[in-house]
Amino acid sequence: MENAKIKASQMFVLVVLFEMGSSILVGLGGSARQDAWISILLGLAGGILVFFIYYRLFKYYPELPLTSYLQKITGKWIGRILALFYVVYFMYVATRVLRDFGELLTTTIYTATPLVVINSLMILTIIYGIHKGFEVIARIGELYFAIIYFMAISGMILVTGSGLIHFENIRPMLENGMKPVLRTFLKETLVFPFGEMIVFTMLLPYLNNPKKVKIACIGGMGLAGINIAITAIVNVAVLGPDLFVRSNFPLLTTIGKIQLANFIERLDVFFMLYLVIGGFFKITIFYYAAVIGAADLFKLKSHQKLNFPIGFVILLASLMIASNFAEHIEEGLNVVTIYLSWPFQIIIPLFLLVIAFFRNRKKQPKQQSNQQHNQQSSQS
Amino acid sequence: MSIWSTMLKNKQKKRKNDNVRQHNDPQKPEEQPIQRNYEDNVSRIKGELGNSTDLLFREYQIGDHKGTIVYVDGLANGQLINDFFNETLLNSGFNGNQDPFQFLIEKAAGLGNFQFATEWNQVFDSFLSGNTLFFLDGYNQAINVETKGWDKRSISEPSTQLSIGGPKDSFTETIRTNTALIRRRIKSPNLWLESMKLGTVAQTDIAIMYIKGIANEKIIGEVKERLNQINIDAVMAEGYIEQLFEDQTWTPFPTTHHSERPDVIASHLLEGRIAILVDGTPFVITVPAIFAQFFQAPDDYYARFDISTSLRILRILAFLIALMGPALYIAATTFHQEMIPTTLAIAIASQRENVPFPAFIEALIMEVTFEILREAGLRLPRAVGQAVSIVGALVIGQAAVQAGIVSPIMVIVVSITAIANFSTPTFMMAIAARLIRFAMMALATFLGLYGIVLGLMFMSIHLCALRSFGIPYMMPIAPFNAQNQQDIFIRYPIWAMKYRPKFISKGNLVRAGDNQKPMPPKQEDSQDSKGES
Repeated sequence: MENAKIKASQMFVLVVLFEMGSSILVGLGGSARQDAWISILLGLAGGILVFFIYYRLFKYYPELPLTSYLQKITGKWIGRILALFYVVYFMYVATRVLRDFGELLTTTIYTATPLVVINSLMILTIIYGIHKGFEVIARIGELYFAIIYFMAISGMILVTGSGLIHFENIRPMLENGMKPVLRTFLKETLVFPFGEMIVFTMLLPYLNNPKKVKIACIGGMGLAGINIAITAIVNVAVLGPDLFVRSNFPLLTTIGKIQLANFIERLDVFFMLYLVIGGFFKITIFYYAAVIGAADLFKLKSHQKLNFPIGFVILLASLMIASNFAEHIEEGLNVVTIYLSWPFQIIIPLFLLVIAFFRNRKKQPKQQSNQQHNQQSSQS
Repeated sequence: MSIWSTMLKNKQKKRKNDNVRQHNDPQKPEEQPIQRNYEDNVSRIKGELGNSTDLLFREYQIGDHKGTIVYVDGLANGQLINDFFNETLLNSGFNGNQDPFQFLIEKAAGLGNFQFATEWNQVFDSFLSGNTLFFLDGYNQAINVETKGWDKRSISEPSTQLSIGGPKDSFTETIRTNTALIRRRIKSPNLWLESMKLGTVAQTDIAIMYIKGIANEKIIGEVKERLNQINIDAVMAEGYIEQLFEDQTWTPFPTTHHSERPDVIASHLLEGRIAILVDGTPFVITVPAIFAQFFQAPDDYYARFDISTSLRILRILAFLIALMGPALYIAATTFHQEMIPTTLAIAIASQRENVPFPAFIEALIMEVTFEILREAGLRLPRAVGQAVSIVGALVIGQAAVQAGIVSPIMVIVVSITAIANFSTPTFMMAIAARLIRFAMMALATFLGLYGIVLGLMFMSIHLCALRSFGIPYMMPIAPFNAQNQQDIFIRYPIWAMKYRPKFISKGNLVRAGDNQKPMPPKQEDSQDSKGES
């Protein structure tokens, strides 16, 4: 663990940027067609419930990150193996986001630029950010939060001003009943992006006021969820459900349709601006969690030594995990959600919570000393 | 990076060792008392200074005791000393009843403020900084009278930081004049001044000024500690100190602020900053510095808030243009042609038809030419200035276009960038933008707008990681602090700027009282309010 402390407002901003990161770019909940926004809001509600699992775990071990209390809850060896899995999982998700990001740029604007160039420059910037420490990451979060909101609001005004919004596209609501919505909720929106809050179990100990964890994280999730839902509504209202489902990046298509006063048009580059910022924070947070997780697991004094190697692994893996974009998306939708997201985000934490509950109930009278011990071990 | 840090640590260790060595230096005249024999004293002074010819001795006699005064020509006020010597000392009227040294003290007191010197190092310090020493045979003490009076520049208008409104005086090269200029603005007993000497050879006078109770004690301590650590032969100007005690060397951004305007320094002191004055330079340093501060011009506070807010936003816009203007042009023409309106795109294309270079080379030629012109312009003798400006206009102008080297639109881009760069009120910040502009241009050439955005990202990480005397450089934007936004993007009306910046000053935070908002007088109660005031 790095010796850093951040404010609740900074944590809030990081949660918002992290949740919105790449989920605004891809057509989240596309399989629910025009009801995507319902499944997103359901996902938000489910995500908040899941977050309470993490929150209870955090309450048991307020000084420790996930990789440390895994070893306390399940024992030394099982805990270490699980922690290793989590580190690899965080790295893998960072890799996936980096690939998403690179693919988006190479398929839309930089058709002639190789993926490796785009990805390596991005990862270099992130390595620099992580080198400067978590407090700095939180500060740039605040800086870019304002910029993103400025862009989002002006984007909304422009979309509305160009007369693109047709609300009849959203109707009829629940055309095919609740079933597709629920399926999308379970398969997509619950685990991406809201279940990904699991990564914040690594970062919660950095908050200077542990009492504000709940308001910062759930508030951030709520704001991000509403923003994503609004984006989905706007996308469907502008494009219609068919194009919304077919388009790889509906928001890009929507922005491409903006035309105002014969002057403000072809604003695709602003989409790219958002893309870089959102991608940056999403990758940074997963990557940072992997770095401090590995440092914690292997008992390294400084996580800085792992910064560059892990970044390099992420860069190379982002080029290797799939041979093309279609394969990458297919894996993401059908393999990752079921075989990775569900176990790592929901099932394992749930088991942990149950075990932690029983362990800590037995130790109730000893809890005071236990906590002190925890503090000492976290300091050392 | 760890290699760097270990290297730095080694350096620091070395520096400490050097310090220790310096203290045991046997060459320095250590604590040696003055002799009773005045001829010995005189020959010692002459020997130490190698018979320097600007050292003047004038001998006199009081009763049976011979004596001499010593001063450095040009540092001490020669006229004053001459008058004193001729009128008072030569016609002393000593009647022999008194102790001659006591008599001399009474006379010397008429010349100026005096002290006694008993050690040799005191002797050298005193006449080398413009004092006059009185030696008398048979006494192992010297009288050290303050007679500083060298030729100094008078207070003139600021030459680099101009403003429309506000005071028109600026600092000079004399530290005493500068402290007086600040004291004249803040007549508070809490304005404290501490002096020290820096430079093992040059012994330059340094003064630290702050307002007790407003400035943060921790930062004052830090400033003093860092100044004490400086171990160098001479401090020629404020830049030496800035480079020796800033938080980070590897950054293009200034983490200390300097100004030649006393009103700026006074207002910085009132915000809780600490001023460092260096003798021999008309610039005064203040720390800690934050990023937003470099966009605040003195005019902002002398004009109404709506005007100064819009001007400040204009300045930030100009900074961004100076930073990214050519880069955006390169990105738009080489990667994102779809961004440009069609007619303009065609116009640019037809202009660029005859240009043999890619946009980056074109921009580089123009930018480098302009930078050379500007650098040359700084050092031009006044007589050839006009000739060079004509040549300059030819090089960045119609001739360059007609020669087919650059396109007309490039000339416009470079000119806008150049003018925008001058609108940043602080030179050190403008020069940072100048430097980063080239990196941005290179990034835009390879990756278009993506490169620019990554460059900005890199820059913002760097800015967020910077600190100035422990204060985060991007304060109060990141970390965000709602209470201190009064003077960042929007300059609040003076009556609404109720508090000093909390992250700089400690203690007395209230700047303005309640109910300061000006109101028109109420019709009915006008009599009453008159009575009150």
